[in-house]
Amino acid sequence: MGTRKHGRLVAGLLVVPLVLAACSGGTDKGATDGGATAGATQGGTLKLWHYEGADSAMGIAWAEAIKVFEEETGATVEFEQKAFEQIQQTAGMVLSSDEGPDIMEYNKGNATAGLLSSQGLLTDLTDVAQERGWTDMLPESIQTTARYENGVMGSGPWYGVPNYGEFVTVYYNKDMFAEYGIEVPTTLAEMEAAMDTFVAAGIVPLGMAGAEYPAGQLFYELALSKADRDFVSAYQTYTDTVDFQADPLKYGAETFDAWVKAGYVAQDSASIKAEDMGVAFINGTTPMIVSGSWWYGRFVSEISGFDWGIFNFPGNTLNAGSSGNIWVVPENSANKELAYEFIDITMRPEIQALLGNNGGLPLAANPADVTDPKSQELITAFNEVLDNDGLAFYPDWPVPGYYDVLVAAFQSLINQSKTPQEVLTEIGTAYDDGVANMG
Amino acid sequence: MTTDIAVVDRMDPARPGPAGRVHAPHERLRRGPGRWIVLAAAVLLAVAMMVPFAIMLLNAFKSPTEYSTNGPLSLPTTVYTDGLVNFWNRVDYPGKLMNSIVISGSVAVLATFVSLFNAYALGIGRIKGRLWIVMLFLLANMLPQEALIYPLYYLAKQTGLYNTQLSVIIIFTVIQSAFGTYLLASVFSTFPPSILEAAALDGASKWQVLWRVVFPISRPTLSVLVIFFFIWTWNEFFIPLVMLIDNSTQTIPVAIASLQGDRLMDAPTLNAGSLISLLPAVVFFLIFQRTLTRGITAGAVK
Amino acid sequence: MATVTEPPAGATIVPAPRRARVRSGRRVYWLYLIPGAVLFLGVIVVPFFMNLYYSMTRWAGIGDPKWIGFDNYTRLFTDETFWLSFRNSVAMIVAMVIVPTLIGLLLAAVLFDYLGKRFDGRVASVLRATYYLPQILPVAVAGILWGWVLNPQTGALNVILRSLGLESWALNWLGDTSTALPTVMLVMIWVQVGYPVVIFMAALQRVDPELYEAAELDGAGWFRRFRAITLPQIKPETFVVALTCTIAALKVFGPIYVLTKGGPENSTNVPSYFAYQNFFPKSQVGYGAAIAMVLTVIVVIVSIVFIRVQAASERREGI
Repeated sequence: MGTRKHGRLVAGLLVVPLVLAACSGGTDKGATDGGATAGATQGGTLKLWHYEGADSAMGIAWAEAIKVFEEETGATVEFEQKAFEQIQQTAGMVLSSDEGPDIMEYNKGNATAGLLSSQGLLTDLTDVAQERGWTDMLPESIQTTARYENGVMGSGPWYGVPNYGEFVTVYYNKDMFAEYGIEVPTTLAEMEAAMDTFVAAGIVPLGMAGAEYPAGQLFYELALSKADRDFVSAYQTYTDTVDFQADPLKYGAETFDAWVKAGYVAQDSASIKAEDMGVAFINGTTPMIVSGSWWYGRFVSEISGFDWGIFNFPGNTLNAGSSGNIWVVPENSANKELAYEFIDITMRPEIQALLGNNGGLPLAANPADVTDPKSQELITAFNEVLDNDGLAFYPDWPVPGYYDVLVAAFQSLINQSKTPQEVLTEIGTAYDDGVANMG
Repeated sequence: MTTDIAVVDRMDPARPGPAGRVHAPHERLRRGPGRWIVLAAAVLLAVAMMVPFAIMLLNAFKSPTEYSTNGPLSLPTTVYTDGLVNFWNRVDYPGKLMNSIVISGSVAVLATFVSLFNAYALGIGRIKGRLWIVMLFLLANMLPQEALIYPLYYLAKQTGLYNTQLSVIIIFTVIQSAFGTYLLASVFSTFPPSILEAAALDGASKWQVLWRVVFPISRPTLSVLVIFFFIWTWNEFFIPLVMLIDNSTQTIPVAIASLQGDRLMDAPTLNAGSLISLLPAVVFFLIFQRTLTRGITAGAVK
Repeated sequence: MATVTEPPAGATIVPAPRRARVRSGRRVYWLYLIPGAVLFLGVIVVPFFMNLYYSMTRWAGIGDPKWIGFDNYTRLFTDETFWLSFRNSVAMIVAMVIVPTLIGLLLAAVLFDYLGKRFDGRVASVLRATYYLPQILPVAVAGILWGWVLNPQTGALNVILRSLGLESWALNWLGDTSTALPTVMLVMIWVQVGYPVVIFMAALQRVDPELYEAAELDGAGWFRRFRAITLPQIKPETFVVALTCTIAALKVFGPIYVLTKGGPENSTNVPSYFAYQNFFPKSQVGYGAAIAMVLTVIVVIVSIVFIRVQAASERREGI
């Protein structure tokens, strides 16, 4: 009997909150309409979304920026930390409604910022960028991902403002290198020789994660060693047709295949996730990984057993990399002026230095302000790439859904179930279909 | 409650011992060693199935450095609670917990009642075309959620329900009640007609028959529905991800998703967060599973 | 139930008023369908037709859809990935319907009939809770945990196998196209088995214990009683479990998403995941909607078959 009453009581209790919740579940639109669009910079609220971890360089820098912003403008910031997955899947839907923010972090690239801008969901920031000098602060190659024309990056109006950068480099375990008498390679041949030494000692030299982005990025780095800026433009912004059966892509796939055969990459890494690859580096199992600057902060805080460093992919002028995620101002934003002010603050040297000193890659910091030695190492490497106009973006950007295609294709190479030619045909067809569909 | 039925409480945990059980004399002889072997096998299976949970426990209280250095399968040397505390504060766990409870609880109760009404009409009322109607309701379960998402988004925007918990509650009430209707209608089809006739002869209206006869008898099945609906809705991710934009309205699975970024993830905190999100659902199950073991009917025929 | 027969006396005593009561009674039952029907209309019927419309367009999810008629469907029928995904659905049905139902039935019977009687009812309840626990675990977390168990280099399974000296058994579970699908199937069994156990244990309580006693007195052993009494009595639940698990198997998405993302090399792709890939990463909503439509039609056909069989068996029982 007790359970029956118990059940009814619980049921009853649950229905009451239902009614309450249903009535109060919606947003309070009053708050966001408070800051009128007529250029009010005194008071008001700014609804801000981003999805960087609170401990990450961006998280720390932007938290500081929020404080500065609130002090200077007197406005309050309604900050919500979002899940990346929610933004990635629902950004279009959210920005087409009234429930969106006034300013948010968003992914750069044609498939994301490009798509939204082509639908008119983002504010054109060209004039503001000129006024506030952002066009001068940011290097040319970084600006590529800030500007979109008909959804294609590289030219056209400004739709986003990058705050930081990212690129792909080679992390290496200094202690292991010393143990086997290996010097930091400066050419690809030297790198292959170094990997041979490891293989001979029974160690898999290069960590790999076939289930996620690292495989595609390694392929891209290899291809870029034989590519030039024109190729990157053709591949990423469709300025020309791309021949998948010719170099540099052919070279990339064949070398990747050769590396698998030589044992540089573990043959059972097709199902390994990036997280596991990173963990293997942190615990000293893997001597090298080819991956991005986003690991840097975590490596700094979690690696304790050995000395480690980075070197840029030997012999490459071009490297995978781009600006970091960009600030966008939704067209439906009710507080655009406040949003511009906030973006400006994040571009200030102090905030950028904060970003730099915590493992991030600032774009407008004073070199003198970045004092942390490990951070300096990263920033110097990045600047080297920037100075060579070496940012080549990422291999999965050109076509929506290309990421899955690349993952599947390179799993075939890791599993040695397809030849490089077959893989190239596979990804080539998907690329051509995707580009055709975009018209 | 003249038609209230009381029977042999077959597995009432509150009353162990021979008093609650019917034993034929020769059955006692069968309480041999064989039962221990079967028990051991069943327990072994349970232990094997719990291995992933053990791993989750290991990692929930591990510091990120230890996790990266020693791997996910190692024992933590110290109990690290910072990850859990950070997560708790960062996502406002109590708020999310309340949201999840409100949504899952509402759906569990509402969907069960909707199922009861539907099944009453279909299984006991035996209205014409009931098979096709059951099929139609089941359509709610057959449509993949991806197919529903864009239309529901537009409808929610039109009706002003976008970004409210009510939209999620309504959607899941429909989806879950499809299953409930099907299960209950199937069970009700085998409902002993003599009981219904007895009640009808006693002058009971359809409404009274529902609450005085059908409802008490179908308690175990209704409990199953409440439990399932609560747990299924508790773990729902996709539709709340799309419908609930403000952090204040979000449920726990969406909050946990914030621990997985574009390229990096926070594994120990993810495990800790999952552990504390699992607990309410498990507690709910343990409380309500006692209702599953209440005795039932059939003796009613007498 | 088999011993209940309609008392002839009742039918002959007051025939006319009875028939009248039955006719008007039937109509009242329709009223009970109203709340469910209204909700259903808004949440399912309208979106279903909207999805049908989208499947005939080319659309990126925002902006205006462009009408293209049946082009998406013709493209679908020549799409290799599409057919592959349905082949994998069959594997999912084995892993999510056939095996869990059989195992679930066995476990429920063992827990309820055997252990419940010979030990405390609490023992059975605890065991049931542990078997059901995988159903409560969120899929995303399950994916990560199983990833850690199945990691070919450092995962628990291979570590244990290697320590037992079974190096050759330490396979690349989720990375090798020949083992990926079976591995996913095993994980699905782990996830699914608790569901039939709970339903069947509740169902077993519906069975009149007197039927069992009568059979025992007649000298019937456990298995004969199981086959002759238990199975027929819990037929409704058996059908429900089978059908709902089949629908779930055809629609499965979450575990594929977290374990393999359809890989390696698309070997574990399933229709729902394929639809998702088109809806979201590829932003080809029209194509995704077409896939979802075809999937729905197949699910509907399968369900119709099931329900017909179920109804026919009910009619045979004379209920």
